[in-house]
Parts: sequence; C-alpha cells; structure tokens
Amino acid sequence: MNDKISESWDSCVKCGICRSVCPVFKEEKSEPFVARGHITLIQELIKGNLNFSDKLSKEYLGKCLLCTTCVESCPNNAHTDLAVITARTFVNKIHGVPLYKKIMAQVMSQRKVLDLSVRMGNMFSSFMFKTVENVPRKGVNVRMKNPIVEKDRLLLPISKRTFLNKYPESINGKNSKKVAVFIGCAVNYSYTEVGDALINILKTLNIEVIIPKNQVCCGGPIYYAGMIDKAEKLAKKNIELFEKIEADAILIPEPTCATAIKVEYPRIFEYFSNNKYLEKAKKLSERVRDPSDYFYNDTDLINILKNKKLKKEHSVTYHDSCHLNRSLGIKQEPRELLKAIENLNFIEMKDADRCCGNGGTFSVDFRETSLKIGKRKAQNIINSTADTVVTGCSGCMMQIAEALNIENSKISVKHTIEVIDKALRGEDL
Amino acid sequence: MYKNKVYKKIKSLLGKRCLNDKLSKVQYSYDATQKMYSPDIVALVENTNEVSEILKIANKYKVPIVPRGWGSGFSGGALNIEGGICLSLEKMDKIVEFDKDNLMVWVEAGLVNYDLQEFLKPYGLFFPPDPSSWKFSTIGGNIAENAGGPRAVKYGVTKNWVNGLEIVLADGTVLNVGSKNIKDVAGYNITDLIIGSEGTLAVVTKALLRVHPISDDKKTIQIVFNGIRAAAEMVNNILNSKIIPTSIEFVDKDAIKTVDDALNVGFPKDAEAILIIEIDGGIYEVEENSKKIKRLCEKDKSIIAFRVAKNEKEADEIWIARRSISPTLKRIADGKLNEDIVVPRSKLPDMIEKTQEIAKKHNLYIVSFGHAGDGNIHTNIMYHTDNNKEIEAAKKAMDEIFSFCLKLGGSITGEHGVGITKQDYLEKQVGSDNIKLFKNIKKAFDPKNILNPHKMRL
Ligand SMILES: Cc1cc2nc3c(=O)[nH]c(=O)nc-3n(C[C@H](O)[C@H](O)[C@H](O)COP(=O)(O)OP(=O)(O)OC[C@H]3O[C@@H](n4cnc5c(N)ncnc54)[C@H](O)[C@@H]3O)c2cc1C
Ligand code: SF4
Ligand code: SF4
Repeated sequence: MNDKISESWDSCVKCGICRSVCPVFKEEKSEPFVARGHITLIQELIKGNLNFSDKLSKEYLGKCLLCTTCVESCPNNAHTDLAVITARTFVNKIHGVPLYKKIMAQVMSQRKVLDLSVRMGNMFSSFMFKTVENVPRKGVNVRMKNPIVEKDRLLLPISKRTFLNKYPESINGKNSKKVAVFIGCAVNYSYTEVGDALINILKTLNIEVIIPKNQVCCGGPIYYAGMIDKAEKLAKKNIELFEKIEADAILIPEPTCATAIKVEYPRIFEYFSNNKYLEKAKKLSERVRDPSDYFYNDTDLINILKNKKLKKEHSVTYHDSCHLNRSLGIKQEPRELLKAIENLNFIEMKDADRCCGNGGTFSVDFRETSLKIGKRKAQNIINSTADTVVTGCSGCMMQIAEALNIENSKISVKHTIEVIDKALRGEDL
Repeated sequence: MYKNKVYKKIKSLLGKRCLNDKLSKVQYSYDATQKMYSPDIVALVENTNEVSEILKIANKYKVPIVPRGWGSGFSGGALNIEGGICLSLEKMDKIVEFDKDNLMVWVEAGLVNYDLQEFLKPYGLFFPPDPSSWKFSTIGGNIAENAGGPRAVKYGVTKNWVNGLEIVLADGTVLNVGSKNIKDVAGYNITDLIIGSEGTLAVVTKALLRVHPISDDKKTIQIVFNGIRAAAEMVNNILNSKIIPTSIEFVDKDAIKTVDDALNVGFPKDAEAILIIEIDGGIYEVEENSKKIKRLCEKDKSIIAFRVAKNEKEADEIWIARRSISPTLKRIADGKLNEDIVVPRSKLPDMIEKTQEIAKKHNLYIVSFGHAGDGNIHTNIMYHTDNNKEIEAAKKAMDEIFSFCLKLGGSITGEHGVGITKQDYLEKQVGSDNIKLFKNIKKAFDPKNILNPHKMRL
C-alpha cells in the first residue's frame, strides 16, 4: 500500500457534518456507523493505537454502503470510501473473509466458472428457486433455508441465455461512430433485457458495436469487500483486453462496473499496487461512459425521442444510483432523455439521490439495516404517485423492487435504457 | 477495580448499548476540536430513567460522567478528559409533545436542531436558534452551550427560546424546571442557569422550547466590500437606520478565498470583506427594508458588488458559502486556534482591525468571519503543526487578541463555550470572585464533582 493513500482521508476535521447525511447512521444513530467514525478507526490503526483483533471491527467497517454521500457533503473532501476499503483489507487479514465472499471472489474471477455456475443454477433453477411474478420487477426467491440469503428475499432472475452468448462480437453500423460494450455480470446473467435494449438503441442509431467475448467481471464487488489483490488481477485482464480495442467509447450500462473501471482501477494501481498499470488504467478510464451520458452528449438520440411515444402514457420517477450520480457525475442526462419522450410524465421524487440501501454485499450482510434504508426510498417513490420508477443500475433495481414489494406496491421498476428502447419502438413499458 | 463493577452495573441496565471495547471507546473519544480522550465506558441511553440510574451508579462510585450530543462541540465539552462514562444521548431523539396553541414543543435532548425545524415547517413554524451546525448538533448540546446562529441579531440565542427543562441531577434525581407560562417568577430561574452550563450541573433529558411563526417573506442580500473597516461600519449604519435584520454575517478576505477554492462560488477577486444580510417580516416591510439597505449602500464607495437573492436557491448558495467556511479552513494550514470572541457591536471595526494588525506582526494567517450583527467573530489563527515557530507565534497572537477583546469589554467566547480550550482565560475575564461563585454553585448541584469535571475551571 502506498503511504499517500492516507492523505485522501486525513483532511477530515471531525466536524460531524457527515452524520447529517449518512444513510446508515440515520438508522443506527451511533458513531461507529458514520464517515467520521470510519476515518478515525483507520487513522488510529495506522498510528498504532489500535488493532482490529476485536470481532466488532467486521461490523464497524462492514456496515458502510460505500455510497459516498459523505464524500459529496464533506467540506474537506475526505475520502471515506477509500478509508473503509483500506480498513477492510486489514480486517480481512485478521478475520479472514466469510466463505460466501471467498466463493464469490473465486467464481467472479473466472468467466468459465461463472458461466458454469449460472448454467447449473439454470438447470436446477426450478428446484432451487421459485420465480416470482406480478411484483415490481420479476425475480426469484430461494426455496431452501440457507445461511446466506433469506427465503423471502427477491433476487435477480437467471436468464436462459447470457448476453455475451447471445450477441456476436461485432455488429456493423453505417454511422462513423464506434463503441465497445462492457456488459457487467448482472445484465449478462440476469437482466439480459437491459442489454437487449442497449443493443437495439445502438442499432437504431446505426452505431458500430464491439462486444469483446473475453471481458471478465470488473472486480468491483471483490474490491469493495477489501480483496484488492484479486480485483487487481481482473483489472489487469480487462485493461489488456480493452486497450487493444478501438472504439470512441466503452459503454457500461451498470454504474457499479463503470465506477470500478473508471474510478477504482486507477486507484488500485495508484495506491494498492505498483503503478506499472496506472497510465493504462487512466487511459481506459477516459473512455468509459454510462450509456445515458453517451447518448445524450454524443448522439442525436434526444431529438429522435422527441417524436416518439410509448404505447401508453406513463408517469415516471427517477432514482439516482449512487455510483452513477456521485461516482460518475451523471445526474441530468438520464432525466433529460426520459423527459424528451412525449407521453411520459416525469415526476421528481423527494431525495431522489439518497442511497436505496443495496450496497452490494451490504444487503446480504446487514439485511435489516438495508431494508430500513430501502423502506425510506420505497416511501418516497410511492409518494411521488408515479406508476414506474426508473434507475440506471441493476443493484438499485433489485433492491427497489424488493423494498416496493414489501410495501405491497405494484409500481414497476425499469432501467433507463429499457424505457428509451420501448419509446423508440412505440411499445408499452 | 471500581471500573469493572460500574461497567457490570451499567451493562445489566443497557445490555448491548453499553460498550467498553477499544474500538467503541475510540469512536466516542473526540469532538470537533479533534482532541482525543478515551472514556472507559460508553453508555448509549434511550430514556430518562436510564440516565437517572446511570447517574446514581456514577455518583455512588464517584466516576466522571460526560454528557454528549452529536460531538460537534468546538471547546472539548464532550471529551472524557479523565476517562469515566461517556453518556451519549443521540438515541433520545423524539418529539414528545407538540402544543400548537401555546406555540411550544417538548423534545428529547438528543433531537437534532434541523430535524425539529423539518417537523415544524409544515405548521408554518420554526425554532429560531440556528447554529451553523444545526444539521449536526442536538438540542441538548445547543442548550448546554447556549448556541446561537446568524438569526441571533433579531431572534436571540438558545436561552431566549427555552421555557423549561427536564433535568437529571448528579445523584439521579429527575427534576422539571420552568413551565409553559410565559410569565413565571416563582423561585430561582434554574432553567437559565442550566443553559450554557456545558453539562457540568445536570444532564438535560428533555426541553420545552418556544417556537415562532415563519415570516411571510424574507430576502437575502450579499454586499461585497473592498475594505474591511467599511464593512464593519456598514453593520452599525444599518442598525442605526431602524432596521433589525434577522442576521448580519461577516466574511473576511481569507475566508472568502478558502470557500471559493473549495466550492467555486465565484466571489469577486478584489473582495476584502463580504456582508450577508437577511431580513424577514411582512412582504411590504421586507421590500421597504431591502430598498433602505440598497440606498445606504449606494452612498458607500467601498462597495464593489451588491446582490439580492432572487429565489430560495440563490439564497441557499449565499448561505452555503458562509456555512462552509469553518470546516474548509484546513486548506490553509493543518492547525488552527479557533476562537469565537465577542465584542459590543459598536467596537467591531476596532476589533477586526486590531486582529489584522496582530496577524501581520506575527506573520500568520488569521481568518475572521462570523456574526457581525451581534459582535461575535470567529477568529481562526492558522498554523502548521510541524512548525514550532508558528505554533508559538499563534499562541502569542491568541493572547493578544483575547487581551484586546477584554479591553473593549468583550468576551472570550460568544457561543462555543469554555470547555477545556478556553478555561485558562476564564478567570481573566470574569475575575476570581466569580470563579468562587461558580465553584459554589457547582458544589450545590454536584457535590462529588462527577458531572463533566475539570471543565470551565471546575
Ligand atoms: C462546523 C461547525 C459549525 C458550528 N457553528 C456553530 C454556530 O454557529 N453557533 C454555535 O453556537 N455553535 C456552533 N458550533 C459548535 C457546536 O455545534 C455547538 O456547540 C453545539 O451546540 C454542540 O452540540 P452537540 O450536540 O454536538 O454537543 P456535543 O459536542 O456533544 O457537546 C457539547 C457540550 O454539551 C454538553 N451536552 C451535550 N448534550 C447535553 C445534555 N443533553 N445535557 C447536558 N449537557 C449536554 C456536553 O457535555 C458538552 O459539554 C459549530 C460546530 C461546528 C463543527
Ligand atoms: S468526514 Fe468530512 S464531514 Fe465527516 S467529520 Fe470528517 S471533515 Fe467532517
Ligand atoms: S459511504 Fe455512505 S454509508 Fe459509508 S459512511 Fe459514507 S455516507 Fe455512510
């Protein structure tokens, strides 16, 4: 680890402002669960005044969504996210990693294993999972009691055919533009329809598309869990793969993966590893774009949408994914695209940019807190009176669908890209 | 050995909410002064009864006990400088009773000031005390420090809005003081004695607060000056023309620069000082007063920009810049002596000029900003912690600023309190007889000196 990393959080002056914005603190109301507390723990560890041998360190440093709401509000730009990730590497060293996360890291590290496990899942699907329909978004429940996920939890569905299997490595276009797609595991294996929508839009715009088959998991979930060396290996593979691919932009419809590649890869090589790959990581970073950003700023999509209608009128509200909004800085673009659709009535909900409580493995490790945070989000969505909630992230989609389901709401949950595609085709949502 | 016994007793009372592991103790060892003193036990209480039981235990075993809100204090009041129990009230955050007819509300002490404002807003009401830290400080902390904010010019400070309290004494006795009566002169005014006592006399568990209707209209005005004295004099000019603004805030050159660096607000580059003025009242009254202020400013040649916020959003932008100064100062240097001196309003120009003179003499950055409307200035003497010469110079500068402030009839602290950071100067200001009286009062309330001991010279 590079000593410079501590400069990213040592600007903290312990003012306490972060207490007023942290979604976890709002539920827990105690100092171990807020940015100021997290930063203090890593600082005291580095000073040698403290060690993480106490089991509590797992909870204190695990229970952070890495939503960066605190970073955004901190007048001193203290990077609590880096503090927490760094601290987690120390916690892992002492307490090890929970078995399910080890398996997750193993499975995610190799595309073949991942493909196989999903295929197995598919094979035994009806035995292990129960499909749940007529909910805010189709998903599955686990049939058997198990130590990792609760039986009533609404999970991602498993697609019959993965996105990467479904599409060829390149799709021609007449336009001079050329993009590559990094699809991300959730869309590849589960919400494949989001990937379909992305390809349809690109086809409509006549843009040439490259879909490299050898892309591997971005490593985000592994990195956020503090298993940085494992994430680094994946980062190197993706960097080497994409540097060879000529494309104006690399579109990633999954803000968590986009953040991992755009923001975290350079950090991995700047702070946690030798920086031989730093320049390459930075180069790749520059090309990574969220589709809504690319479509709004680099194409004519907004004008095309102005003449398009959904089959039926809908009122829609929008939830800002933390990674899309804060890490990638994309806030207005998706809203503008949605508003362009003629018979779509856009309603801004209260606190649209507050975290939904998913936080990746956070929702597995701390389900109760995660659901409390989700409940606030669901309430704001319901109060908006919209019939559909749109967001740009699979993690948010899953969490919001579950939170709405618990509230017995039938408001449907869609990805921005899906709504745009439906409007282009004149279909219903 | 007693520690173990005390821990066991509190543990049996609070269960999981009583902590004594190293990690948790570190989390409750600091406040916004950035100093660290570890408590031996952290007690996360949820109701008055628990507070009372814990005080009985602390009193019996003579263990120091320090009440704590959200730890945003600037004078070290919430620090367990001698270990003991950290009594954290953050989980006591409920609104107990809203008495709309009497315009009063009973709240638990751990409620955050801003959460109360949010509760009151739909009723067209507000709680006037508005420390810059209102989003991250508790009513209990506001009461203990008698916190004040920008609106103090017109609406006063915390003490003007508290009608009664539920307090717990050192021996665990739960007491109600004050009442809902606007007029009530039966006996000593214990409520006012507790306000500003920094957790040394009793623990506040609930407060009966007065609230006020939100005015029909308000306007925020920003005036930029090319000279600092002119800004200070404008404050008196405005007040002398029979306008009482809600607030008159003052920001000096270095503060303007740090905030601009941090937030990119785009202040004029040759700005030497900024006044932020807010006026409220009926629609007609606000319009009239804003015109009056504009006329006053037109005559003043040192004004380089004058702006009235057109809407809520613009007003917020102006205020965010002001509220962000204090926490962004670290950009200038990593160390600061943060003082909140106050002088009679008419002496403000003298005090500000003297501060600049002292800064020049010691070759230091001294950033001044604050509540000019009530003579309260936040003086931040900046230094680098790895530079011993600067540290020495900063201390000298602070002595000189305090001496001059007292000479003008001012006070060493307007709102942050004495705590540990200012106790060495207290006697100089109030005199030894006052200190003797303080000690006697403390003894009457807390004979064993367990409540927040060794703060405020007690
Ligand atoms: C960026 C920033 C800006 C600030 N701006 C202002 C400002 O404009 N005006 C202002 O006045 N202050 C300001 N402050 C200082 C601080 O926020 C106030 O003093 C505030 O009232 C402290 O509240 P707290 O809940 O954080 O209390 P803490 O810091 O937890 O405690 C402060 C003191 O109150 C005592 N205390 C707390 N709760 C109780 C209770 N229930 N019963 C008895 N004693 C109790 C503690 O023992 C301690 O002595 C600012 C601080 C920061 C960091
Ligand atoms: S992280 Fe930022 S907001 Fe939180 S206490 Fe530190 S400086 Fe203040
Ligand atoms: S990243 Fe989010 S959850 Fe973690 S401390 Fe910051 S605000 Fe809280």
